[in-house]
Amino acid sequence: MATFRERLKPRFAVFGGIVLSVLLLLAVRLWSVQVVSGSAYAERAESNRTREIAIEAPRGRILDREGRPLAANRATLAVLVSPAAKDDDDLLDDLTTLLGVPRQEIVDRLNSVREAPLEPRVVAIDVSREAVAFIAENESALPGVEVRVIAVRDYPGGETAAHLLGYTGLISGEELSQPGFSGYRAGDLVGKTGAEKQFESVLQGDHGRRLVEVDAWGRQRGVVSESEPVPGRDIRLTVDMDVQRVAENALEDALSDARREGFSKAKAGAAVAMDIRTGEILAMASAPAYDPRQFIGGISQEDWGRLNAPGGEYPLNNRVIMAAYPPASTFKVVTGLAGLTDGITSQWRQYRCVGRWTGMGEEWSKACWQRRGHGTVSFHGGMVESCDIVFYEIGHELHRRGEERLQAVAREFNLGSRTGIDLPGEVPGRVPDAKWKAEFNRDYPEYAVWLPGDTVNMSIGQGDLLTTPLQMAVVYAAICNGGAIVTPHVLGAVLDADGRPVIESEAKAIGTLTATPAELGILKRSLFDVTEVGTGRSAFAGFGRKVFGKTGTAEVYGKDDYAWFVAVAPAEEPRYAVTVVIEQGGHGGSIAAPAARDILSQLFGLPVRHVRAHDVSR
Amino acid sequence: MRETGLRRVLQVVNLPLMLPVLALVVYGTVMIWSATSGMARGDAMIRRHVMGLAIGLVPFAIAWIVDYRRLLGWLGPLWWGTLFLVISPRIPGLGDTAKGATSWLEVAGIRLFQPSEPAKLLFIIVMAAAVSRYRGQISAPADVLRIAAYMAGPLALILLQPDLGTGLVFVAIAMGMFLVGGMRPRWFAVFALVGILAVSTVLGFGLLAEYQENRLLVFVDPDRDPRGAGYNLAQSKIAIGAGGLFGNGLTSGTQGNLNFLPERHTDFIFSVLGEELGFVGALGLLALYLGLLVAALEVAASSKDLYGALIVVGVMSMWTFQILVNIGMTVGMMPITGIPLPFMSFGSSFMVTNLAATGMLLSVWSRRYGV
Repeated sequence: MATFRERLKPRFAVFGGIVLSVLLLLAVRLWSVQVVSGSAYAERAESNRTREIAIEAPRGRILDREGRPLAANRATLAVLVSPAAKDDDDLLDDLTTLLGVPRQEIVDRLNSVREAPLEPRVVAIDVSREAVAFIAENESALPGVEVRVIAVRDYPGGETAAHLLGYTGLISGEELSQPGFSGYRAGDLVGKTGAEKQFESVLQGDHGRRLVEVDAWGRQRGVVSESEPVPGRDIRLTVDMDVQRVAENALEDALSDARREGFSKAKAGAAVAMDIRTGEILAMASAPAYDPRQFIGGISQEDWGRLNAPGGEYPLNNRVIMAAYPPASTFKVVTGLAGLTDGITSQWRQYRCVGRWTGMGEEWSKACWQRRGHGTVSFHGGMVESCDIVFYEIGHELHRRGEERLQAVAREFNLGSRTGIDLPGEVPGRVPDAKWKAEFNRDYPEYAVWLPGDTVNMSIGQGDLLTTPLQMAVVYAAICNGGAIVTPHVLGAVLDADGRPVIESEAKAIGTLTATPAELGILKRSLFDVTEVGTGRSAFAGFGRKVFGKTGTAEVYGKDDYAWFVAVAPAEEPRYAVTVVIEQGGHGGSIAAPAARDILSQLFGLPVRHVRAHDVSR
Repeated sequence: MRETGLRRVLQVVNLPLMLPVLALVVYGTVMIWSATSGMARGDAMIRRHVMGLAIGLVPFAIAWIVDYRRLLGWLGPLWWGTLFLVISPRIPGLGDTAKGATSWLEVAGIRLFQPSEPAKLLFIIVMAAAVSRYRGQISAPADVLRIAAYMAGPLALILLQPDLGTGLVFVAIAMGMFLVGGMRPRWFAVFALVGILAVSTVLGFGLLAEYQENRLLVFVDPDRDPRGAGYNLAQSKIAIGAGGLFGNGLTSGTQGNLNFLPERHTDFIFSVLGEELGFVGALGLLALYLGLLVAALEVAASSKDLYGALIVVGVMSMWTFQILVNIGMTVGMMPITGIPLPFMSFGSSFMVTNLAATGMLLSVWSRRYGV
């Protein structure tokens, strides 16, 4: 027996050694995993176990100057679908039938890279009670589909002030990478245009965070911790909802007036009303408008395509600040002021209008809009009757003296630069000069030289000169408020939770005209007579308030004339500037001026009765 | 020498062996209770586990009482019995195959047990008998071939199931016995060569089921499929690592109770232990295994004959290999093969088999003086 055991001893030793080393190996490995790397694995277990859910903070409301909501929030029943469902054909069919949302649109939303990657996406809002009940009853047949109450933007005024308010949409990847959007997450709604974009940082609140415990299937098992969302702040705009509505209606009325008078292409226009002392915008209307409700819950591809279709007048554009037109005769105040300050003209200086002007020689003759001529006409009369010859003369003399004085005065009015209004997308317009022309036509040397005719054209607001409707409101405001170039603004105040203002906008002027009060007085006197006896009298007959005004009828190559009217009222104590432009609407006096009258009526608390004027002057 | 009753009892009772087994069984029951506490049918599972333990006491006692030497005369029937058990799940009317790997013996729609588990014990007895014939000297090629033939039958059938895990357990059992049974080292080299050839053939010709191949490949590269086959491995490592030194406490493991750990009461029971009781708890388990295996080695060394020693060595090989592969897979050292952890994993067939194996060890111990 002993021999058998003796013989096996070394083999038992080897075998025992193997067994021991197996246990030792495991112990060492466990030491490394549990003790050495333990905390790293603990972190991974924690992130396995918990999921952070953002709690939407309510977006701040946008109120009008009286505190009436223009953009607010409302709760709605939304159907959300997990992105994993995009490959489930049957489910997509069911959803299409149930919700009436096209299948491709659902797929697009599930594929959207703008949302947080794994989180369910909204595929329909304002879902019917029947659909909600159906989803609840067929939970197992509709995996990844859920109904939630979510907050969406609400526009109590419908289309009112759509351009001014702008709209919201999902944050884009590009925005997410910008420093201004730090703290934002994919799936957040942010302002895309208008005030929603401009005041994004104020309107957007801070997400609340809820840390929940989830199991391996992502089901919530409990709440670990929670922080309350901080709602965004309300803002109060300077806009008056009533004036805004009147301005929008006035634009529509003007467009239908224009079409009735045979200007069948009249489809677009802009109107703005501003306080000339402070720059507060009281109304800002652009036609055609769009319905901001289309953007709630994400706009469909189809609607987006329609809003951006070429030839569709681009209803998303806010023409008050994004469209630059030749200002035509409304620019004559600038030419006139340049003539007055340079001593080229004076209030009663006489001019002779025979309907044609040959100041640059017979072969460069130019016409007055009044083909039969105004006869003998003063500077004052030229303004009142909008005689082109008077301003050709002034412009030609300004050109002859060199130094681009007309451009300099135009720039004194801040033309060619953005007004600085607190809205995104404003265009600067253009004040053309020799340098610009040389640059613009550098490939066509024969057109690169600034000619006397360029200054002459510019002096009646034609040629290459471009201004926005808002810029012209600022020009007339300056003439009537003693020369201050105000900065227009739409923000009245940022409010705290109790509606008390925490930040209030202040009136800002970026400069002052160098003209004397006497020179401005000469202009005002003639603007006064425009609505009394001149090109605007028909529109303002029986208005009951005295109004400074100026008509304009812009010639645009290949299009019907654009109708302009700029007014400042009341003349006794000037307060409001109003600009109306009707694209391809015809004459300023007959089409644009009545719309301006409507807006002023509302501003003065007078009954708004749209009048029809029959003035074919420019 | 006349023996008193007490001495007789002390002679057959081996406390150094039985105490670790008792401790392991209690430890395992506590861990299964903790792992299933969050499950919908957790109470039923614990009842089934305890019932399995109770049932296991019967084969445990029988194996202890029956003289292992009497089995020597039954070598032929035992070998055929092994073959039958291994193949039984494939016999129409008897078998049921779940999850592609776990094979059940089923009669009239009632699941009885997993036949591969008792097959391991029969295999141990058969191989111990076969190897012990050569009295600790296996060198002639003819002898090696004969022994290899005993091994090849059951092994081939089990690999054809295909049940890779159990097949590897069979190989480990045989290798342990060859080592102690006196096989020349060069023959191990030959076996290794044959094994390598076999593995490359199996992989090369795609003989493995896809899920098995995936498990092997994921072991090499866990990021290959993090939500699929690699998921089990990753979640298990997270659980064990998160346990740290002292663990989260019983029933407080989030990886287990929130279902991140798959098969947490069976194959991955050690991951639950690692998460909830930490390195200390894991080391405690290894210490119990060490105590058990040292006591078993003592039993083997005390055996009156080589046959008895080889039975013990076979059981030790089985346990050691399963501990290595099971714990190894939970910490990413071994591929995921579905081999349970002795005395710890939920599963009655497995528990009964381990208790019966313990009985066999005590049977060898009780007869160390040739009584």
